[in-house]
Amino acid sequence: MSEVRALSVPLDSIAPCFEGVIPASLCSCSREGLPNVTFLSIVHRLDENHVGLSFQFFNKTRKNLQENPRAQVIVVMPGTADQYRLDVRHLRTETDGPAFDRMRARLEAVASQTGMNRVFRLRGVDVYEVLDCRSVNQEGRSEIVPRAESMRELEAFTGRLDSCEGLDALLSTALEALADLFGHRHSFVMFPDEDGTRLYTGASYGFDPSGVGSEVVVGEGMLGLSAARRSVVRVTNLALDRVVARAVRSGIERRGEESILETEIALPGLPDARSQLTLPLLSRNRLLGVLCLQSADPGRFLETDERVMQIVARHLAASMASTMAADSAEPKVATLQSDRAAPAASHAVVRHYRSDDSIFIDDAYLTKGIPGRLFWKLLQAFVGTGRAAFTNKEIRLDASMGLPDIKDNLETRLILLRRRLEERCEFMRLIPAGRGRLHLDVRRSLTLEELP
Amino acid sequence: MVGTRDSELVPELVRAWGPRISRDRKHASLCVAMAAGVKTLANLRDNARVAVTFALPANSSAIQVWGRCIGTGRPDRDDLTAVQQHRDTFAQVSKGLGIPPPFIEALWQRELAGSPGMVRIRFVAVQIFNQTPGPGAGSPL
Repeated sequence: MSEVRALSVPLDSIAPCFEGVIPASLCSCSREGLPNVTFLSIVHRLDENHVGLSFQFFNKTRKNLQENPRAQVIVVMPGTADQYRLDVRHLRTETDGPAFDRMRARLEAVASQTGMNRVFRLRGVDVYEVLDCRSVNQEGRSEIVPRAESMRELEAFTGRLDSCEGLDALLSTALEALADLFGHRHSFVMFPDEDGTRLYTGASYGFDPSGVGSEVVVGEGMLGLSAARRSVVRVTNLALDRVVARAVRSGIERRGEESILETEIALPGLPDARSQLTLPLLSRNRLLGVLCLQSADPGRFLETDERVMQIVARHLAASMASTMAADSAEPKVATLQSDRAAPAASHAVVRHYRSDDSIFIDDAYLTKGIPGRLFWKLLQAFVGTGRAAFTNKEIRLDASMGLPDIKDNLETRLILLRRRLEERCEFMRLIPAGRGRLHLDVRRSLTLEELP
Repeated sequence: MVGTRDSELVPELVRAWGPRISRDRKHASLCVAMAAGVKTLANLRDNARVAVTFALPANSSAIQVWGRCIGTGRPDRDDLTAVQQHRDTFAQVSKGLGIPPPFIEALWQRELAGSPGMVRIRFVAVQIFNQTPGPGAGSPL
């Protein structure tokens, strides 16, 4: 990069303009003197004197810049609506490096979510030197945006997590603290399944219904790609991304080239989410899950929020790893004494379908897969012997459960099961009874039916 | 958005409001804030080359007109009515993108704040292109 040039308006002071919340515009000019105007979804600020634009398609702008490197960009400040002109000079096109990787991660996540994997492809990052940046308006109000230090909130967040016992409490506390301390009122955590091909929601905050149990495929969509790539994915105006994607889709369909299109993927969570920040939860390079924050407002998660939430995600992942390890290593826990559940007030039928381990309570779906198989075993013990107390250890060691080697993933399955029961069943609860112990509380008599 | 260039081929952009087509359909006009459009107006006096992009935020449909400026001047009452209608419609259709109407109002107000007013640019179209994102972008219409 060339030497730093003092701009009339420092790019740092208008950082939110470079988040893709409000579309920008670019004007280039051909050798023959024909100006050309195009819209841009996002202008990336690379440093104090450089911006980057994605290069996806060969077009007039690209041809012009090869002939005449001068261009002008107008960006708009979210919130104040102030506009800024950037006089720029095209320097080069990069096809690798940190800026390329960052832009590609964002583009591919949106492409995957909107079914445009084979259409939106980052060929390169066009790097421009910013010659000057000026306010379009007479009374430009640019100011250095105070950096979000958030030290006090981070300290409080880690303090709250320190006092948690068990993974369930840890996640509930963390998501509630994100709302209390940082104002992130819609969040959820997804866990990978045993073979790492899917993610399922195990804890959520701010959603009704909770969405616990919803699934996505690892490698697909913004959440799946964040997990597969183990990278942060942040989008600031999903509504805009979708509108552009649908416009491109319509054009492709009109040309009869539908074969290159894929289905748009439904996004778990808020139906009108416009901002989303997805962070992988990693411990020693092992994926424990993803943390997802959503908002219906565009531009809710900016670069500073991403940095703070990365610290949050790393601390949460470390706490999860230590909690899971403690549960896995639960020493010498004897099986609790059998006890009888409370007398049943009425009756219910629980059905288990062996084909997918799905569980239905009085014809209402509860769960499937490993949580379903696990619950069925607990219910069989409960109905057969009256046992209502269990330990994680015995579940892990019980070969008759036929569980795969899920070890420290057991706790995440139990959380899912517990939350599903809370949400979908009035008379059964799976209650944590101290570390590594469970109590099955059933308030009705049960009939169990096993089906193919 | 209106694009022009100076004699050194340095481009200049400005936001425009209230596009209208003349009754005889031979030319079009739009208005820009005078203060924001100083360089644009100088460029048009120098070489008359102009590119104007029109877009619908609701579905990203867009066209670009390459044209030649045939005059600038004070907007009349009909021009200013078109500016207000454009502003109000722009605010309505931007809601779907999560951009609240007061933001569009602010965008307009901020451009006019400190500006002596608006100026009308009249131009004739030379070429029109599809500018909707996708495989057809850039094709002549």
